[in-house]
Amino acid sequence: MAVKIIESCVNCFACEPVCPSKAIYEAKPHFLVDPKKCTECEGDFPVFQCASICPIEGAILDSLGMEINPPGSLTGIPPEKMAEAMRELQSH
Amino acid sequence: MQLPVLNDAPTSKSGCEASSCGTTENQMDSLPDSIREKVQNHPCYSEDAHHYFARMHVAVAPACNIQCHYCNRKYDCSNESRPGVVSEVLTPDQAVKKTMAVATNIPQMTVLGIAGPGDPLANPERTFETFRRLSLEAPDIKLCVSTNGLALPDAVEELSKHNIDHVTITINCVDPEIGAKIYPWIFWNNKRIKGVKGAKILIEQQQKGLEMLIAKGILVKVNSVMIPGVNDQHLAEVSKVVKAKGAFLHNVMPLISEPEHGTFYGVMGQRGPTPDELQDLQDSCSGDMNMMRHCRQCRADAVGMLGEDRGDEFSLDKIADMDIDYPAAMEKRKVIHQAIQEEMDSKRLEKSTKAAQLKAAAKLTTRPVLMAVATSGQGVINVHFGHAKEFLIYEASPDGVRFISHRKADQYCGGDTSCGDGESVLQVTVRALAGCEAVLCSKVGYEPWEMLENAGIMPNGEHAMEFIEEAVMAVYKEMAAAGKLDDKQKAVRASA
Repeated sequence: MAVKIIESCVNCFACEPVCPSKAIYEAKPHFLVDPKKCTECEGDFPVFQCASICPIEGAILDSLGMEINPPGSLTGIPPEKMAEAMRELQSH
Repeated sequence: MQLPVLNDAPTSKSGCEASSCGTTENQMDSLPDSIREKVQNHPCYSEDAHHYFARMHVAVAPACNIQCHYCNRKYDCSNESRPGVVSEVLTPDQAVKKTMAVATNIPQMTVLGIAGPGDPLANPERTFETFRRLSLEAPDIKLCVSTNGLALPDAVEELSKHNIDHVTITINCVDPEIGAKIYPWIFWNNKRIKGVKGAKILIEQQQKGLEMLIAKGILVKVNSVMIPGVNDQHLAEVSKVVKAKGAFLHNVMPLISEPEHGTFYGVMGQRGPTPDELQDLQDSCSGDMNMMRHCRQCRADAVGMLGEDRGDEFSLDKIADMDIDYPAAMEKRKVIHQAIQEEMDSKRLEKSTKAAQLKAAAKLTTRPVLMAVATSGQGVINVHFGHAKEFLIYEASPDGVRFISHRKADQYCGGDTSCGDGESVLQVTVRALAGCEAVLCSKVGYEPWEMLENAGIMPNGEHAMEFIEEAVMAVYKEMAAAGKLDDKQKAVRASA
C-alpha cells in the first residue's frame, strides 16, 4: 500500500513536509515516495496529505494506479476545454 | 501601533480628485517622513527610487498552499517575465551566494525579496534560513517578502526578528463569494478546502496578518490583481479596508492571462483589463489610498532595475566562479548609495521649486496629453527608441507632470522576433503606445519615425539626457504654443 509520484511532478516541495511518515524524498528528475514507508496516511489523517496539497493533476497515483486528483479537479478547467486550448495553440 | 493614514486631508473638490494629481508631486511626496525614510531606496515601494535602485528576488520558495486562477505551477520558461515563473529553484545557501554576488556587481541593488515561485511563508524553513543568513552576512541589504497571507499570522513573530521592514500581501478581495471565483482551493489544517469556505479562511488570515504586521510597525503594501468582471468593481472597497487597517501602499496590477500560460483564466478566455480600465480603477482608488503605478510584475528570480532582468548573468554556474569579498563590497556600496541619495535629494528639491514656479506662472487651459518616455534609469531620457524594452507613460497637463504607468515594448515573450500573427516587434511597440501623442527618447530611426507619425505619435529625440518631467513639460508647452492642445474634445481623458 503506497502512493506513487510520477513524471508530471514539478518538484515544488509542497508534499515533502506534510507527509506524516517521512516517505517522500527529493530525487531526480522528480520527487519520489518510499513505498516501504508510505502508510497512505492511515492512522494519521483521513485523506492523503501529499495529494491534498499537490497542485498538479495526475501527478500522484494511489495503490491501484488511479489518479488521486483527476484532470479538472484542481484547476477547475474542464478537460475538454483544456484539450481544445492545446489544439488551438499547437495549430499556430 | 497604528501607522499614520495617508491622504487624510480632504481632496479639493475642484479639478482632479486623484491625490497625486494637481502638482508635479509624485507618489512618495505625500508620505510622512518616517515612512519615506524607510522606502526611499526601495525600488518596489518608491516610484522615485525605481529610477535609481535595483532589486532582486531569490527563488527559494517553490511550495504553495493555495491555488489562484491566474497561476499555473507547471510553467517554467526563461523568456517569460511574470510572477510565479523561475528558471531554477535555489537552496538558501545558493540564494545567499547569489545575493552577495549581485550586490557586489550591481551596487545599486538595495533590496532582496523572496516572492516565490510558490508562497514564501509556505516554505518557512527555506525562506527564514535565507533571511537569517543575509541579515548577518549582508546587513546593508533590505529584506522583504511577499505572500498570499494564508500562513502569515503564524509567521509574523519570526518576520519581525529579521531585517524585514516591508511585507507585501496579495489581497484580491474581502468577500468570500468573489474569492471563490479567484481561488479554487486552499490547503488548510491538513485538508484541501474548496470554494467559498476556503476563500473565507484565506481572507480572514490575510486580514489578521495585515493587522498583526501593522501592530509590529512593519510596513505593508497590498497587491491586487484586477480581473474584469470578477473583482474590478470590488477593489475600491479592498483599497478602503486595507488603508483603514494601516497598509501604506496599494498596487493594483492587471491580470495576465495569455492562453499559452495554461492558467484557468487563460484557458477559459478571461481577459485582462485594458490600460484605460486599469488607470480608471487606480485613479478611483487614489482618492482614498496611496497607489503604486510602477510595478513591473516581475519574476520570482528577477535581478536588476525594475524594467530589466539580468538574471542570466548570475546563474549558479556563473556565480560559482565569482570571488566575492563582501566587506569590501559593502564599503563601495555605501559610497555609491550615498551619491545616489544626494542626487535624489537635490532632484527632489529642484522638482518642488519647479512645481512652485509652475503654480505661480500663468496657468494654461489646455487639455492633458499622454507621452511615452524611453529611460533606463537615473530619471533621464536615455534610451534609443529601438532599444527600449518598455516605455514609461506620463501625463502632462496645466497642473504638471505625473507618472501614469509603464508599457512593455516587447510584450511578455522575448524569444521570437515576431508574433504569431506576423506583426513585427515595431508594429507591436507602436500599438503599445496607443493613446500617447509624443514619444521622448534619445534617438529614433527613420522607419519607426514614419510609423509613429502615421499613428499620430510625435517622435522626439531632442531631449536626450534631460530629466523626464522637465522634458515632458517642455514638449507639452511647445504643443500648447503650437495650438495643438486647444481642441478640448480630442482627448479630454487621459488613457494610459
